Amino acid sequence: MISCEEFLAEFGDYLENQISPEVRQELELHVSQCRACHVLYDSSRKTVKLVTESSSFELPESVSEPIIDRVMARLRTGRS
Amino acid sequence: MSFLGEVRLEEEFGPFAAFQEALGFVPNLLYAQTLLPRVIEAQAKLESAVRSQGGAISRVHKERILLSIAADRHDTYCVALESKVLSLLGMSEGQINDLLNDYHRADLPLADLALLQFCLKLSRYAPSMCSEDIEALRACGFEDELILEAVVLTALAVYRCTLSVGLGPEADFGPRKLAPTRIARPRDVALHIPSPGIHEAARNKGPYVPAPYLSSKTFGPFAIVQKSHGFIPNFFRAQTLRPDLLEAELEAVDRILLPEDVLTRVQKECILLAVSAANLNSYCVAMHCNLLRGLGMPSEEGDQIAVDHHESNLSESDKALLDFAVKLGTRVSEFSRKDVVKLQTLGFTEEQILECAVVTALNNFANTLQMGLGIQPDFEPPPDFENKVHLSGGAQPPIQAGGVVHLVDTLQDTEAGFVAQAQSGKLEAFEELARHHGQLIYRTLTAILGNPADAQDAMQDTLLSVYKHIDGFQGRSKFSTWLVSIARNTAFQRLRRGKHFESLDEAVCNEEQDFRPRQVKAWQDNPEELYSKSEMRQLVERGILALPANYRVVVMLRDIQQLSTDEVARQLGLSVPAVKTRLLRGRLMLREWLSPHFMTSVKGIAQ
Repeated sequence: MISCEEFLAEFGDYLENQISPEVRQELELHVSQCRACHVLYDSSRKTVKLVTESSSFELPESVSEPIIDRVMARLRTGRS
Repeated sequence: MSFLGEVRLEEEFGPFAAFQEALGFVPNLLYAQTLLPRVIEAQAKLESAVRSQGGAISRVHKERILLSIAADRHDTYCVALESKVLSLLGMSEGQINDLLNDYHRADLPLADLALLQFCLKLSRYAPSMCSEDIEALRACGFEDELILEAVVLTALAVYRCTLSVGLGPEADFGPRKLAPTRIARPRDVALHIPSPGIHEAARNKGPYVPAPYLSSKTFGPFAIVQKSHGFIPNFFRAQTLRPDLLEAELEAVDRILLPEDVLTRVQKECILLAVSAANLNSYCVAMHCNLLRGLGMPSEEGDQIAVDHHESNLSESDKALLDFAVKLGTRVSEFSRKDVVKLQTLGFTEEQILECAVVTALNNFANTLQMGLGIQPDFEPPPDFENKVHLSGGAQPPIQAGGVVHLVDTLQDTEAGFVAQAQSGKLEAFEELARHHGQLIYRTLTAILGNPADAQDAMQDTLLSVYKHIDGFQGRSKFSTWLVSIARNTAFQRLRRGKHFESLDEAVCNEEQDFRPRQVKAWQDNPEELYSKSEMRQLVERGILALPANYRVVVMLRDIQQLSTDEVARQLGLSVPAVKTRLLRGRLMLREWLSPHFMTSVKGIAQ
């Protein structure tokens, strides 16, 4: 089985799902045998899922519209 | 004498001794490279690995394939050389002539014939290789290791033929007569040329040969690639069935590409990019665009070289260098000594011209190998390049299925229309663009400024700046990429004015060090059920704002704005590996920060 260090070297691509089937097999084997890496993988995957589904930093229209209106007003007066 | 000067090397120069032992003589092609002994070492490494007796294909059959490819490419130098090698191995004149005139008459066993045809197709029609070609070999009983060896052997033949054209060595032995009619008879090669219009998703696009996992901890050469590239490209990962060949390739790369004593690393990457583009090799184009970005070249410049280097900002002499390489790499029949003289009159030294020819040969080696193994891309190639390949009817289709490309094109066309209108002063079009991209601008500003209130404040300045400079947008990058660069500039100006200036360009602290996760407590099964939607959002936002700016920007664009890694790299002017490193660190830091709220011992209010 691969070592934790080797697992961590592939970890970023594993999270991004960008690995070949052969590498995936090695990593899955490691995760099934090593508790620390299992916890790391499981919680990292959950982190990414929570973050991507959180709709964080959405700019509400109530904020964006006045900004765009002010900009457009300045551009219109600047031109005439 | 060849096109370039030659110097005497000591008798015991290792590579020469190796050729002496393997062939009984040192070919003039090697003497033609004596100005740069390290490139001879590179070729010797490749040749001895491919020729090694331990390989899956017999020595005679390998030389037979090398001869046939040389004949097919009308390379008289290599034909004379390989004929001699075969006759030294005991092949009769009659057999050699049969091979040269029509290999169907050479009485080859069916399996050997299939392998030879495979190699000829790969050498000549690399972009049309497909999994059926591999299946045909498997049906003859060939193992995957042997198929991999055949691909590398073909790539070596292409390497040598490219070099012999570029260096013009004197023939080692008397010339051979070639039958011109034999060339490109369709039945030789047209086994499985995929028809255009075929449904792409239905085809197995590779990798064609399985590749067992090799770690950079146990396989030394991978550790070197990890250091020089920042990651292990699929190109190398796809060849792990034969670590011996892989090791020789990496040593060749090391000797040809990494030294900066003759041409610079950037010049060499430009050569690799331009010739790969001319060969319509999307994989290698994407790779070298990325490496150039990592060497500090703006992404638009790399993209432009891929589409047409004449329109790039390179110096006139560097453009001439690329002209030389592209001609040598793709239109050998037009290449002559005149092309060498032209570079000399522009002030290039003989060493530089030699290195340029060797880099071009190495490029064709890599292009052939990639297509022969169907190696999957590490990165997306520049969209403009993909369009060009598509328009030129290139055999290699864009990565997405046809319908998707079409839709994206339409959307981009609509946007291009709005941009053009805004550039001609139509405010309504500008307003539409501002609305459409407001979210992206806001998130970029928030990530850099580290504060949503400041970001809202900076929105107005950014939009005014976009309008002021919109004529400067030339359509060489995506409009959104350009917007992000304006937003970044605006944010940086603001930071410089303010007190707490957190530099983004500062080397990321400890980027080299491995990030050691500390938190090892397990998380609950359904963390999203622990908090309400708005609580969750607040938690994530606080966690992201707590990240160092470098990581914050990457996580924001990738995970919140959900751009692809490649797009994030373009927008921030970073290489993809650099983005990947920061993304992983950022995510792991975020995980540490969020852990106390999601561990199994925590009771969320939803419970």
